[in-house]
Amino acid sequence: MTRSIPITAPAADDLPPSPRPVESRSRPSRRRVTAHPVAGALFVLPFFLVVVAFLVVPLGYAFWLSLSSKSLALGTRFTGVDNYVRAFTDPLLLDGLLRVVLFGLVQIPVMLGIALAGALTLDAVTTRFAVAFRLIAFMPYAVPAVVGALMWGFLYSRTFGPFADLPTLVGGDPIDFFSASLLLVSLGNIVTWAWTGYNMIILYSALQGVPREMYEAAVIDGATPVQIALRVKVPAIKQAISLAAIFTVIGTMQFFTEPQIMARFAPQISAGYTPNLYAYNQAFAYSDFNYSAALSFALGFLVFVVAYAFVFVNRKRGAHS
Amino acid sequence: MLGTKWTAKLRAGLVVAGVLAAAACGGAADNADGPVRVSVWAWYPEFKAVVDAFNASHKDIQVEWTNVGTGPDQYAKLKTAFTAGKGAPDVAMVEFQQIPTFVILDALVDMGPYGANDDKDLYAEWAWSQATDGDKVYAIPVDGGPMALMYRKDLFDKHGIPVPTTWAEYADAAAKIKAVDPNAYIASFGSDGGWLNGLMWQAGCRPYGYSQAKAKDQVKIDLTAPECEKVVELYGDLVSKGLMAQDKFFTADATAALDSGKYWTWAAAGWTPGYVAGSLKNTAGKWAVAPMPQWTAGADEQGDWGGSTFTVTKQAKNPQAAATVARELFGRSKAAWDIGLNKAFLYPLVKEVAADPAFTGKAYDFFDGQKVNEIFVPVSEKLGEFQYTPFQDFVFKDLNDRTAEAMSGSRQWSTVLEETQKNVVAYAEKQGFKVSR
Repeated sequence: MTRSIPITAPAADDLPPSPRPVESRSRPSRRRVTAHPVAGALFVLPFFLVVVAFLVVPLGYAFWLSLSSKSLALGTRFTGVDNYVRAFTDPLLLDGLLRVVLFGLVQIPVMLGIALAGALTLDAVTTRFAVAFRLIAFMPYAVPAVVGALMWGFLYSRTFGPFADLPTLVGGDPIDFFSASLLLVSLGNIVTWAWTGYNMIILYSALQGVPREMYEAAVIDGATPVQIALRVKVPAIKQAISLAAIFTVIGTMQFFTEPQIMARFAPQISAGYTPNLYAYNQAFAYSDFNYSAALSFALGFLVFVVAYAFVFVNRKRGAHS
Repeated sequence: MLGTKWTAKLRAGLVVAGVLAAAACGGAADNADGPVRVSVWAWYPEFKAVVDAFNASHKDIQVEWTNVGTGPDQYAKLKTAFTAGKGAPDVAMVEFQQIPTFVILDALVDMGPYGANDDKDLYAEWAWSQATDGDKVYAIPVDGGPMALMYRKDLFDKHGIPVPTTWAEYADAAAKIKAVDPNAYIASFGSDGGWLNGLMWQAGCRPYGYSQAKAKDQVKIDLTAPECEKVVELYGDLVSKGLMAQDKFFTADATAALDSGKYWTWAAAGWTPGYVAGSLKNTAGKWAVAPMPQWTAGADEQGDWGGSTFTVTKQAKNPQAAATVARELFGRSKAAWDIGLNKAFLYPLVKEVAADPAFTGKAYDFFDGQKVNEIFVPVSEKLGEFQYTPFQDFVFKDLNDRTAEAMSGSRQWSTVLEETQKNVVAYAEKQGFKVSR
């Protein structure tokens, strides 16, 4: 899964308020900065240039592309929002969206559940084994997604794979991991394999930051280790969990690499299997860069809306509790 | 990849970024004195030796070759480069079915003015007609894929099953094979648009028609003609009955199945002997090649699967030199064809090379000494005109998606071509074409 810079990462005020250092107000350095606006601007300039060159201009260009249509026979003409109207009524895009949503509804809770369980276990166990396990769990994340997908392609193989023939040991039929009914599960497994360790480490790091006194207090109050885990630790790292969840939601909406690679093995992965794959195929297979740009923007907008809604709901919930 | 797409835009506005992008793109600069450098994108096996042979025999032109990936990978990069207006090579390898697509994208140079019309008689007629449009020469043919039936001679002999000569016999053989070995299949339905297209071609189906020279915005799409339908019907029937496997071609699974006796035949192309000889070690020497089964007993209808050409792109810095490279890399080089035939196993579209006894009389160990080109060469000579649409990627992808639905049981095989026809026509009309049948 391709993870991009989370444009809608939880706002800074979402994090626990840190005590503002009072003495900073009286620091004289502030006045000095305002006294040299040119110097300040120069420091910012390289960053600004990179942002403009590699974010603003490409996005602007893509948006401009999405407002016109270049048909093979008629050439380019300005069509305004036509491409967007087409996108939101395109059954292939909607099918792909529905598939990705269905995928996410199952895969995200499963993956984050395992990651959380793993993180809590790691936090509770302090042997040398835990250190090794942390490394091992993190390792799939270090494997490039393309390589991971290829590897699983072979593991799923009916001829070479170790799993396909397992049911035959008890007299069942061999499993076809690429069949229409199992394909989403097979893909979900690859994604879970690749990202669980990553999320586990995020949650584990958050757990490390929880003040130990809270546990001591809970122990004194007579809480069992399970109660401590569920009633103290989990609420304490709620922010980290929602951060991991939002990254995962964004990543899922952009689901691309695994289906793209697996299509080499699985004929069931159609051109519009996921919205991102559909945008790719529109541009690079069907030569329709304009519609592809519109699809990408539409998808980006949806990701933004979903991510924002997620943060919003989360904050509301946080305020209530 | 996206970086190059925007390179042109960046340059206009931002000097700093422009310089960076230019540095990243690199590209061969023409030296004022010294040989002209021509960049080439191609993925032929053993191509390095061909390039070396060219460079050794040309003082004024030197080829700089890059392999940016096979088929779709390279096309994606090419289309990006053409959209950006920058970044394409001077010469690009393009398969036959892609030529109209790149022509309509205005990406290819007409090599006619550079003398390419003189090459007409060098090449198999069907190939030349696909590479050209009137007197416009958009591509120089290199290799082709005349189809024939590869089969496991040992297994057919052992079980006394006759090698099919008609498609009806083929269906019979499929049932007999299943009867003698429940784990075996006559073949796999490989989910490959080009392959299915070759089978339809052989059945007399001519679903597409396009000539930019005649009318840029008119295209013929007729996938539901009876000649086309009967192919999908036959294969759909075999798949539904479980007599045909469903592994995608060129996957490790399909190759292993070919190499283990799980598949007994493969309706393959002129380039497949070379492809399989390298990967099927266990069954080498047990295969043979027969002419394609016919729809009518005694007929001689043939089809082609694949094949490729060299094109000169509109971004070529020196089109004259690029055209020379496209024409001479294989076209006029015996050294290149020695490599092409013996190492890369290309099926030559240069008539003289294909007719040479060194090629027709070549015995293949993989086929137990059979001179298989004696079968492929007449097939190539028999191939008539066949055209493609200027959006063949869409057609093949949609065809694959619909057959995949049929394989998974969510679609009737009998509606595959009907649905593809509908989708392709809708796409073509959206692209501004007038569609006829």
